[in-house]
Amino acid sequence: MNPQAAALIGAAIAVVTGLGAGIGIGIATGKTSEAIARQPEASGKIQGAFLIGIALAEATAIYGLVVSLLLLFK
Amino acid sequence: MVEAGAPEAMSISERITEAISIKTVFTIRAFGLAIPISDTILASWIIMAVLFLASWLLTRRLKEIPTRAQTLVEGLVGFINDFAEENLGHHGKHFAAFLGTIFIFLIAANLAPLFTPVGGFGYEPPFIIRPLTRDINITAGFAVCVIVTVFVSGLVIKGPAGFAKSLVSPMAFMLPFKLMEYIIKPVSLALRLFGNILGAFIIMQLIEAAMPVVLPPILAMYFDLFDGLIQAVVFAFLSTVYVAEAIE
Repeated sequence: MNPQAAALIGAAIAVVTGLGAGIGIGIATGKTSEAIARQPEASGKIQGAFLIGIALAEATAIYGLVVSLLLLFK
Repeated sequence: MVEAGAPEAMSISERITEAISIKTVFTIRAFGLAIPISDTILASWIIMAVLFLASWLLTRRLKEIPTRAQTLVEGLVGFINDFAEENLGHHGKHFAAFLGTIFIFLIAANLAPLFTPVGGFGYEPPFIIRPLTRDINITAGFAVCVIVTVFVSGLVIKGPAGFAKSLVSPMAFMLPFKLMEYIIKPVSLALRLFGNILGAFIIMQLIEAAMPVVLPPILAMYFDLFDGLIQAVVFAFLSTVYVAEAIE
């Protein structure tokens, strides 16, 4: 296998990290709506925690994207 | 840019590589150094100038009974002050200006591409604004500013002894992890903003290459407008959380 093809396959595999981020953000969003439905008066604090949570969950997908970009445009 | 005589000569991957590449606009020669100025740096200077002018013009003649523009500015400043105070307590007023600057600049930077003149019907727009946070150097600069603020504010507010104590709390073996945080935090801040904006930008380029009409304006609402706003909010919010963690 030539290195270029291997790099392309590697880039595609790196994007699979999106799976974890999708699941994580999905769970966080679901629980946030549950929490706001239960306690609408605390929605400000819940949204703050939610924003941090999705930002951290999303980081893995971003690392995958960066790795695949590095492989594509090296 | 399609050259005459060779229509559609660029493949999609060439187009995207061209779009995300950062070009050097001009070079400043000073003190025996040649400093290349890229298009993202130039765009950030223009945004700085616009924000500076806007803040000077809007706060030049403040009145007891606010005009319409003054009400808007007061609302924005009040929002930032409240946000800082809510998260940082009585130290909030020291950090409100810094966090507000990051917030407003990143919103301006992420929404700047919306001000690209519209081309079409044989009219080439004179310039194309691409999101400047697609350049990791811009986001890394902000991340370094934030982590220096976190470090210095922790050192000043807790005092050297308190700061050293916070590094080994609750247990001494936490020290390497606490030190590692000073690397991981800025790297993840910079990569998050950069990756999100670049990813959305590449997806928009792909969509425009595949279907130039109808679809792009609809999806741009999400990928350009919503994503840019959310990422600016997330960056400012995480910076606030890091500062709050350092000073409490």
